[in-house]
Amino acid sequence: MNVKIKDSQLDKFFNPASVTVIGASSAPFNLGATICTCLREYIKFPGPVFAVNRKGEAVSGCPGYSAVADIPQEVDLAVIITPAAVVPRFVKECGEKGIRNIIIESAGFSEQGTDGTALQSEIDGYARRYGIRLLGPNCLGVLDNMSRFCCFYGAYQEIMDVFDKPGGVSYVIQSGGVGVLIIESLMDDVQGINKMVSIGNKTDVDEADLIEYFSGDNTRVIAMYLENVMHGEKLMNVARRVKKPILVFKSGRTEEGTAAALSHTAGMANNDAVFDCACRQAGIIRLRSISEIYSLPKMLTEMPLLRGNRIAAFTNSGAFGSISADLMVEAGLRMPRLEPATRERLLKIRGVFNVNNPVDIGPAPPQVYLDIFEILFSADEVDGLLLMSSIWRDFVIDVIKEVVKMCKRYDKPAAIYTPNSVGRIISVRKKFNLPLFDTMEEAVRALVVSHEQFRYLQKKETRYGADN
Amino acid sequence: MEQIIKKAIERGQKTLSEYDSKLVIGSAGVAITREKLARTRDEAVKFASEIGYPVVLKGCSDKAAHKTEMGLVKLRLSSAEEVQKAYEEIAGAGIELDGVLVQEMIKGDREFVIGLSRDPQFGPCVMFGIGGIFTEVIKDVSFRVAPLTELDAEEMIEEIRMKKLLDEFRGSPAVDRKKLVTALVGIGELGVKHSEIAEIDINPLIVSGSNPVVVDALVVLAG
Repeated sequence: MNVKIKDSQLDKFFNPASVTVIGASSAPFNLGATICTCLREYIKFPGPVFAVNRKGEAVSGCPGYSAVADIPQEVDLAVIITPAAVVPRFVKECGEKGIRNIIIESAGFSEQGTDGTALQSEIDGYARRYGIRLLGPNCLGVLDNMSRFCCFYGAYQEIMDVFDKPGGVSYVIQSGGVGVLIIESLMDDVQGINKMVSIGNKTDVDEADLIEYFSGDNTRVIAMYLENVMHGEKLMNVARRVKKPILVFKSGRTEEGTAAALSHTAGMANNDAVFDCACRQAGIIRLRSISEIYSLPKMLTEMPLLRGNRIAAFTNSGAFGSISADLMVEAGLRMPRLEPATRERLLKIRGVFNVNNPVDIGPAPPQVYLDIFEILFSADEVDGLLLMSSIWRDFVIDVIKEVVKMCKRYDKPAAIYTPNSVGRIISVRKKFNLPLFDTMEEAVRALVVSHEQFRYLQKKETRYGADN
Repeated sequence: MEQIIKKAIERGQKTLSEYDSKLVIGSAGVAITREKLARTRDEAVKFASEIGYPVVLKGCSDKAAHKTEMGLVKLRLSSAEEVQKAYEEIAGAGIELDGVLVQEMIKGDREFVIGLSRDPQFGPCVMFGIGGIFTEVIKDVSFRVAPLTELDAEEMIEEIRMKKLLDEFRGSPAVDRKKLVTALVGIGELGVKHSEIAEIDINPLIVSGSNPVVVDALVVLAG
C-alpha cells in the first residue's frame, strides 16, 4: 500500500498550523463566524485562528484584525468568505503577508457572468504573482479526517461525528450539498471519509491536482462529484497513472453537441459522450447515480476485486434469484452453469436440492450455508458471489461475518444484500460492521464496478508497471 | 497533404472537396476509393475505362456538401455512353466545380462512419459507428480521445451495439479489423498533428469483401 505523503504545497490545505478567516464577524448570520466556531469549539483546532473584519473584532474566541497585515504571526492558511467584490483585495493582502494557501468560499465569480469572471481573473493574477495555491472560489472548503481539520462554512455539530469514523475514501466535490449528503450517509456505513475537498469554480486547484495528491496519501478510494471538466487532458494523464480506484459522478449529461458543427460527427459528439470515453481510456469508473458515490466505495475497500465476470448467486428465495439474474445479465455479468464437479459437491450437503446457479435453498442451519459458500468460492468457474439471504435468524449475521473472511481467503468478492427493510439493513451494517448493500441493484452494481476497477488496474499496470 | 490544406485555407475555404478530403484521409493510412478528377468529358471516359466499370461520377467542389440532393452524384455507370451523359448532366447543373470525380463503384451492404471532432475540454476525438444516411437517427457510435492506442481502437469497435455487423454477415466475410484499427488510430493522429483540421466525416466507409474503403468524406477546416 502506498502511504508516502508528498511534500506538496497542497498539504497546508489539509494540515495548517494556523488559520485566518477573512470575513468572519460577530454580525448576525455571518458565515465566516461559523467557520471560527467550527475550528475553536467543534474540532478544537490546536493552532491559532484569527478573524479579519472591518471592525477588527474578535469572533468566537478568535482574535480579530482589520487587515491581514496586522496579524502578528505567520499564517498557513487563509479562508476568505467576504462579498466577491473585495476578495481580490484580500488575496493581495494575503500574498503580501506571505500566505501561500487560500480557500475562497465566497460566491459571485465565474458562475455569475462576466463581472464575476473578471473578478476571478483578478484573483488568478495575484495568485500567480505571489505563488499562492487557491481552492475555490464558490466552495465549501476542506475536511480532513486524519488531521481533524474542517473549514466548511455553516458546519453543524452533527457533522463533527465524521471525526469519530475516519476512513479510506477521499472526496472531491463540486457542490457543498453533495458533501453533506455524503458525510451523513457514511455515518450509516462501514467506510469512512479520509478527506473531502469542495473545489467550486476550481480556478487553480482542480480534480486532477487532488487525484494526484490522494494518490500519495493514505486514501484508498477517490470519489468525485463533478459538474464540469476544464482540463480534460490533465485529468486523463493523472488518472492513467493512479492505481487507486477513481469513481466519478458527473451531472450535465444531456448537454448537446456544438450547434454550429458542420460535420455529422461534431453534431453527435456531445460533451457527455466524450467524457464517457475519456473515463474509459483513463481508467475512471463512472457512477450511475449520486447515491453510488457513498454506497459503492465499501466494495473496493472491504472486498478483493472481481477478477472475472462469472457470478454465482445464492438466495433463500427463488424470486431474488430470478430478479438478480436479470440485473446481472443486463449489467454485463455472467451467471455460469456450475460444473458437474461443483454440482456433485453441493448435492452431498444435506438439504440442498437445487444445484443450479442461482443456488436457492430454504431455511437451513448455518453450517449448510457455510459449506455451500466454501464450494462456490473454491469453484474455478466462479469469480465472485452475489449473496442474497434475508436475516431471518440472528445466525445469518454470523454467516455473513464468515463470508467476509472467506472472501479474503479465496481472493474473490461477495456483494451482500439481505432482503430486509433498509432500516434493518442499516442497523445490522452499523452494529456488526458488515459491508451490506441497501438494495439488490446496488449489490449488482458493486460487482460491476469491482470488475471494472480490476480491468482498469490491469491496463494501468501493463502500461506503467505494477509498483509505481 | 500540407499543401492541400494550406491552399484551401489561403482560398478561404471552410471545407475541402471530396477529392481533397480523401487525399488527406488517405495520407493517414486509410484506404480510399480509386478515383480521378476529370476536367473534360473525354477525360472522364478515359478515367472510367482505366478504373474499370461500373463507375460513379460525382461533381467535386468544396461548396458541394450535399451532392446527392444537388443532383451531382451518378451511380452504377457501366458504359462510355452513360459516363458521357452523366458528365454533361453534372457539368450542366449550374454549380462551380473543381471537376468531375470518376470513382470506382464499391459494392458492399455494410456502411460505417468514422469521424473526428474537437471537444473544448478533451481536444480531438475519434468517432466510430454505423454509417449511411441514417447515422444520426441510429446513433450507434463510440468515441475515443486522440491520440488512440490500438487497444483504444479495438475497444471502441467493440462498444457499438451492432458490432455483429463486423463479423461474417449474410455471405460476406468478417471485416478486417486490423484495417479498421489502423484507420481509427490514423484519423486520431491527423487530429493531434493538424490543428487546422476541425472536423472529419468519413461516411460511408463501405466494407468491400472484408476491406473497409472510404467512399465519401468531408474535411472541415478550423475557422
